[in-house]
Amino acid sequence: MPESPYPTSTDVLVLHALRCIGFAGLARVAEATGLPESDAESELIDLAVAGLVTCVPGDFGGWGLTEAGRAADAEWIRGELEAAGTRTAVAGAYDDFLVLNPELLDLCTAWQMRSADGAAVPNDHTDPAYDARVLDLFTDFHRRADAVCADLSAAMLRFQRYRVRFATALARARSGAVEYVTDNLDSYHIVWFQLHEDLLATLGIPRD
Amino acid sequence: MTWIHPLSAETEETPSVLGGKGYGLVVLRRLGLPVPPGFVISTGACRAFLRDGRFPDGLDAELAAAVSDLETATRRRFGGPGRPLALSVRSGGSVSMPGMMNTVLDLGLTAEATAELAAETGDVRFALDSRLRFLSSFASAVIGLAPESLEAVAGETAERGSGGEEAHLAGAIRGVEALIRERTGGPVPDDAMRQLELAVRAVFSSWNTPRATTYRALHAIPHDLGTAVTVQAMVFGNRDEHSGAGVAFSRNPDTGERIPFGDVLFGRQGEDVVSGRSTTRPLAELAEREPAVWAGLLDAMGRIEEHHRDACYVEFTFEAGRLWLLQTRPGGLVGRAAVRVAVDLADEGVISRREALLRVSPRHLRYAGTSRIEAAGTLDILTRGLGACPGVATGRVATTADRAVRMAAGGPVILVRPQTSPLDMHGLAAAAGVVTARGGPASHAAVVARAMGKPAVVGAADLTVDAASVRAAGRVFPEGTFITIDGTGGEVVVGSPRITTAPADSLLHRLLGWADEISGGGSNRDDAERLAAAHAVLVKQPGTRQGP
Repeated sequence: MPESPYPTSTDVLVLHALRCIGFAGLARVAEATGLPESDAESELIDLAVAGLVTCVPGDFGGWGLTEAGRAADAEWIRGELEAAGTRTAVAGAYDDFLVLNPELLDLCTAWQMRSADGAAVPNDHTDPAYDARVLDLFTDFHRRADAVCADLSAAMLRFQRYRVRFATALARARSGAVEYVTDNLDSYHIVWFQLHEDLLATLGIPRD
Repeated sequence: MTWIHPLSAETEETPSVLGGKGYGLVVLRRLGLPVPPGFVISTGACRAFLRDGRFPDGLDAELAAAVSDLETATRRRFGGPGRPLALSVRSGGSVSMPGMMNTVLDLGLTAEATAELAAETGDVRFALDSRLRFLSSFASAVIGLAPESLEAVAGETAERGSGGEEAHLAGAIRGVEALIRERTGGPVPDDAMRQLELAVRAVFSSWNTPRATTYRALHAIPHDLGTAVTVQAMVFGNRDEHSGAGVAFSRNPDTGERIPFGDVLFGRQGEDVVSGRSTTRPLAELAEREPAVWAGLLDAMGRIEEHHRDACYVEFTFEAGRLWLLQTRPGGLVGRAAVRVAVDLADEGVISRREALLRVSPRHLRYAGTSRIEAAGTLDILTRGLGACPGVATGRVATTADRAVRMAAGGPVILVRPQTSPLDMHGLAAAAGVVTARGGPASHAAVVARAMGKPAVVGAADLTVDAASVRAAGRVFPEGTFITIDGTGGEVVVGSPRITTAPADSLLHRLLGWADEISGGGSNRDDAERLAAAHAVLVKQPGTRQGP
């Protein structure tokens, strides 16, 4: 019998979500973790009391990590990976992710820009056939990306949430909410960007 | 030979057989320009390999014969013993595409050949540097290791070694070799011919990587073309202080002015220029440091322009003061640069006015109204990168997302980061524009900037972002410095230069005047329509070349 994937406690889940998505309001924290807003808020308040997160007011404000929160997250996530004993599996999946990453960025770029006789010009989304072609390729890409996320989820249960978020973004984009490709904060690209950050943070790889 | 064609003036095959790269090199040979000796494995061999899963009959023998010819031509031995022959192996379909295996350099530098190279040149550092480049490019291109992992392990093991540069290189080589063993269960074969075979197979196979397949689907490129493989004797830009590599446009690709434009790296190989990993120098520095190479380059670009009757792009290397051309293609300029080149060439009598009209796409004119920094006058250039989201933004430099948010309350801010992470999103939202030191037009930063409609410059390789300042070209600019960025041309300028929103240039008006003469129409339509009307007339006339 294979062991079931390692579960993450709720406080770590919330702290680490903030570590990967950056400053965010309650709704986005709930969305990223899959927790009900009330549960997410309760965790955030506990984390704030512990000095690990803080809530910044203002137009671009929201919940964010303190320096202490960042350090705690690094320690907890490292400890979790050791406890699960799945570093090799996560590192292998990260290699697979790195193969997919440039293709995803190609696809996002093709969604935003088109080649007009050799010049890159903004895609004004007036050519439904072109947009449909890009979305079809996204759908094909998603199958391969989902396989990597499945490997990750088998190593560490919290990665399962990305499968849900990618599938939701793609389904919404395909049903006509095209801002879910690259443009809004739950778009396929933004979730991918966060997964990239998550893998770097999980494996302790600096971004440069 | 059936599958292999030499890079010689007599080779008559078309780009569909030789690939764009190989064909361009044959053209250079015909023009009598310096090209390292080599050969092209045809796209037909690739198609056969992809169909049958093995080299077609006869390819092995042709490959051995072609290498043997190259040994004779260079008076070197592939894999030693004696003066070693090292090869570059590059892919090149009739169109280039991302996701394909790109390049293996210094192939054939086995452990023994590396020692021979050190003995021949008396330069151990150079030989080890070349061996490291071979292992890294082979591991990345053939074995599929991520460049990020390779750089990390090379850097790590190099740091641990003490002593001089040679010890560092030896350490880095050990690190890369260990990583390769760890990931593949064995070393890179120490047999030069076997290395070549594996590299050629990897180029062929890379035609069908998912990323390349996706790219073809996006750009309506047929899946059955296959890629050619160009194999050449190495020329070493890392040989000594009179060596280096660069890229050059015969005319400024941004403005179209008849001033050669490009980047050069001294003491390095060409991959370092193209990858954007190293800080390049403006091409003009070549004139001061290597006047003979510079003169040769100007002469070569002149001859290539004359041949194509168009502006051109070249990639070059110089080894011990001697110039070599590694790639060329004509034209490729767009927007206002294309307009200027077309009108200038017509004025120079190189092409007719009709051809000048056909050189400019009406679709380019549709976007010529995007704001740009005015190129005229003296700009205080802070750095240059790649334009990733068109438009101009002016504001004060902020080096962290948090400070961008705080400073934005007092006026527009430009967020300047080494690269971006999701933790920068609130800073991006608050900023008027963004500059990153790393990344290309298809990077997270570029995708996010376009999603938010913020002008963006990415991959400004000579830019260093410190805690509260930025550095470039030896100058330091504190946070709060007022800068302007151009997300089309990639310029980052100190202060607030003049901005143009329409191509105010007289050249465009002249071109459109010619267009009206052809179409018989008036000037009461937009620019793109006037040009399109002329195209419609011209393409119906016999003997008119369709372009661009």
